[in-house]
Amino acid sequence: MTTAEQLNVGLGQIQLARNDEILASILGSCIGVVIYDPQRKIAAFAHVVLPLSGGRPGSPGRFADTAIPAMLQELRNQGANPQQLRAKITGGACMFGNNQMNIGDRNAEEVRRQLKEKKVPLISEDVGGTKGRKVFFSPYTSQMEIVINGVNSTII
Amino acid sequence: MSDNTHEHGVHLEILHQILSAATHEASAAMCRWTNGLITMSLDEVREIPLEAVSTEYDFGLDMLTMVVLTLNGEIGGSMILCFDEENGRDLAASLLCSKQRQTGDWTPLERSALCETGNILGCAYLNALTRLMSVDLVPSPPYFLQDYGASVLEQALMEQAALEDKVMICRTRFTRGDQELNWNVFFVPNSQMRQMMEDALHIDA
Repeated sequence: MTTAEQLNVGLGQIQLARNDEILASILGSCIGVVIYDPQRKIAAFAHVVLPLSGGRPGSPGRFADTAIPAMLQELRNQGANPQQLRAKITGGACMFGNNQMNIGDRNAEEVRRQLKEKKVPLISEDVGGTKGRKVFFSPYTSQMEIVINGVNSTII
Repeated sequence: MSDNTHEHGVHLEILHQILSAATHEASAAMCRWTNGLITMSLDEVREIPLEAVSTEYDFGLDMLTMVVLTLNGEIGGSMILCFDEENGRDLAASLLCSKQRQTGDWTPLERSALCETGNILGCAYLNALTRLMSVDLVPSPPYFLQDYGASVLEQALMEQAALEDKVMICRTRFTRGDQELNWNVFFVPNSQMRQMMEDALHIDA
């Protein structure tokens, strides 16, 4: 999944891709959420850092409650069919072996809540644990490849 | 330059001085620990938007070897000592007086050698900050991690990101003789720690 053009999604960013472009990110306690239209083969990937914006300014991708609406708007602008949209999520690890702020769980919970509220079906997820994840998503196949420990690869 | 920009620059410059002094102390400890082989110096103290972190600190997609110390509590932060595989193995071999770099899974002894390095550096660094701020800073035991560098830095930045739009990162470099090594220490204070450092030098917010 790494031969096509790869678009890296950094902390707090939202990135769009089409067809055989690959969305890639490294996730720790953040949540990587992909919303995609499997028929039109277009996807948006947000690297969500925190659950709630509380009215704070900044990039919409940083917070779960601003990222999901911004992704849906951008996908509509790019011609995605709102009825066909699906979601997958990953990340939300607790990296340092303690439960500091429990931020991974809270991020995942808020992303799920936002998706439910916006009626976007959550097709699959791989969240939690104590390890970072290297993640690739292909709008062409709608597959998300998740690599943990540099070797163990899972497709969701 | 606006007043705010000027004030911000002064704050960072003074924090740089504090952290340089702490790094100098840690460098002396590192030099003793490695029999004069390795020294370190403060590379930068920066405050950047969260969204710029991934491009400014590009760890790539490969796994790194790291030793992490955290300060839990109100005055908190994280210290991450990170190496690529080759440099981590070299350090472990050197500390264990082994002629050959090991391959395969890290042995408990190799892990212990790197953790002790993190402990020595972290304690020297925090001792210097403790004296400056007149507060006790007690780090967690060091722990050995093999993971993606970006995912670990991301976790370290969480506490700052929860309160601030910009995050502060201090980076330290290492040298062996004249040769710069592919090792770094990242020190990420939380907001209270940063405020305390500024207060210690009587910087008006």
